[in-house]
Amino acid sequence: MKMALSVKELLEQKGIDPKEEHLEILENRWAGLKAARGNLETVNVDDADISLRNVPGGDHSE
Amino acid sequence: MIILSKELASQSVEQLAPLLKKGEISPVDITNSVLDRAEATQETINSHIEIYREDALKEAEKAEKEISSGQYRGMFHGIPMAIKDIIYMKDKVTTMGSKIHKDFVSDHDATVVSKLKEAGVVFTGKLSLHEYAWGVTNNNPHYGAVRNPWNTNKIPGGSSGGSGAALASDATIASLGTDTAGSIRIPSSACGTVGLKQTYGRVSKYGVYPLAWTLDHVGPMTKTVKDAAGLLQIIAGFDKKDPTSINVPVDDYVGAVTGNVKDLVIGVNEDFFFKGVDSGVEKLVRNGIQKLVDQGAKVQEVKIPSLQYSDWAELITSLSEASAIHHSDLQSRPQDFGSDIRLLFELGELPSAVDYLQAQQVRRQLKQDFQKAFNKVDVIMAPTLPVLPNNIGEDFAYLNGEKVDVIDNIIRFMGPENLTGLPALSVPCGLSQGLPVGMQIIGPAFKEGRILNAGYAFEKTAPMQGKKPELR
Repeated sequence: MKMALSVKELLEQKGIDPKEEHLEILENRWAGLKAARGNLETVNVDDADISLRNVPGGDHSE
Repeated sequence: MIILSKELASQSVEQLAPLLKKGEISPVDITNSVLDRAEATQETINSHIEIYREDALKEAEKAEKEISSGQYRGMFHGIPMAIKDIIYMKDKVTTMGSKIHKDFVSDHDATVVSKLKEAGVVFTGKLSLHEYAWGVTNNNPHYGAVRNPWNTNKIPGGSSGGSGAALASDATIASLGTDTAGSIRIPSSACGTVGLKQTYGRVSKYGVYPLAWTLDHVGPMTKTVKDAAGLLQIIAGFDKKDPTSINVPVDDYVGAVTGNVKDLVIGVNEDFFFKGVDSGVEKLVRNGIQKLVDQGAKVQEVKIPSLQYSDWAELITSLSEASAIHHSDLQSRPQDFGSDIRLLFELGELPSAVDYLQAQQVRRQLKQDFQKAFNKVDVIMAPTLPVLPNNIGEDFAYLNGEKVDVIDNIIRFMGPENLTGLPALSVPCGLSQGLPVGMQIIGPAFKEGRILNAGYAFEKTAPMQGKKPELR
């Protein structure tokens, strides 16, 4: 089984050449963000609507 | 009341406006005083990216003629103001604090600028910011670090650090900042000034360069709470040109500021807003709440469970949106970004669409939890920042003697108000280790009058005891 893509590979797939000295910081920060997400156990994400609106007919309903 | 010309720059709008209206002082004298101060402090504080001496004096002369001929337009007529250099002014360079936009000239005014021009404001210049407003230190690689007037080794906070530093050093009478993850409130707290992030959609963002569309706000930064109310009165209102503008009536914010807080119910959330707070900060904020209780307010504890995910939701949302805006420049000319924001743009390319959308689900839950809290209390009070401003060039701050990450901690109490769009005011509540501390007052949507009034009631107790930065 293939290992998960590294941060460098993920960025290169998007045409972004990350600064070499950023790679370790990015790996750590990305791991920190994933840890902060946790399992969202107290938020009913499967049921909750999202905080985005689709306004029909233009930018403002009047 | 006689004010010496050189002292005019140190006054607030509420002090100057009645004298201007009566013709006892001149907009030209105030403008000269502010320009002199801005130029004199530029070497030490570096708050400005550009100073408009010639244009400002012409505008001040025009204001003087209008006022003397009986055409007084209101509280901000003839008041000199410099604004954050991410807000467009027609035919002027707006740099966004960046190298990439260093020569960008807008062909139109931002709506807030149009409104201030109609109110008779005299524009004295553009103020520095963290590059593209994406940071909290204002250590800008292209325009130099902005320094905190209370201690020039310390950051002024960001991203509207030029605005906070200019106010604290009397290099402007009032200002505008922008706030995506606290960028109005952070420098207001760090510099001992007043900052208001009003409800999302209350003030038009047309003509303001975006950082993260669903979190961005443009709002008042001032020396006093009444000045913030007066400035909001001018800039608030529906704008068809801004797709996020909300069409609800504009309240009488100035009239709401009475200082009467009898029976106001203050919500305190111990689990999040008082956890991991520097002891000096906590003491001043709790004292501040007590000062309102002494005037007849009551305190009630509130629970907001989803706050535990607000850091994650704020970061996923802001990182993703900011990186979407700068995606093509990150691909084609990454070397033109400062190293710190390049790192953030790279990080913002990593979250998936699922991450982003789940962050929006958390965001909705957070709105519902705050709504439940506001069914019980009128306002929620908290520290603006859990830590004191750190040294320029360092990426850590001290929290009760322990080194902690600057970004993570400085934005910790900011994200919930940007995610929910709720209005939040930062007012100075004293000094700890010689540095200002801010107290945050959060309100229900569109209740800016309520939080401004609570802030004014507190400001009347003179928490700063008349102290100002000791700058020459």
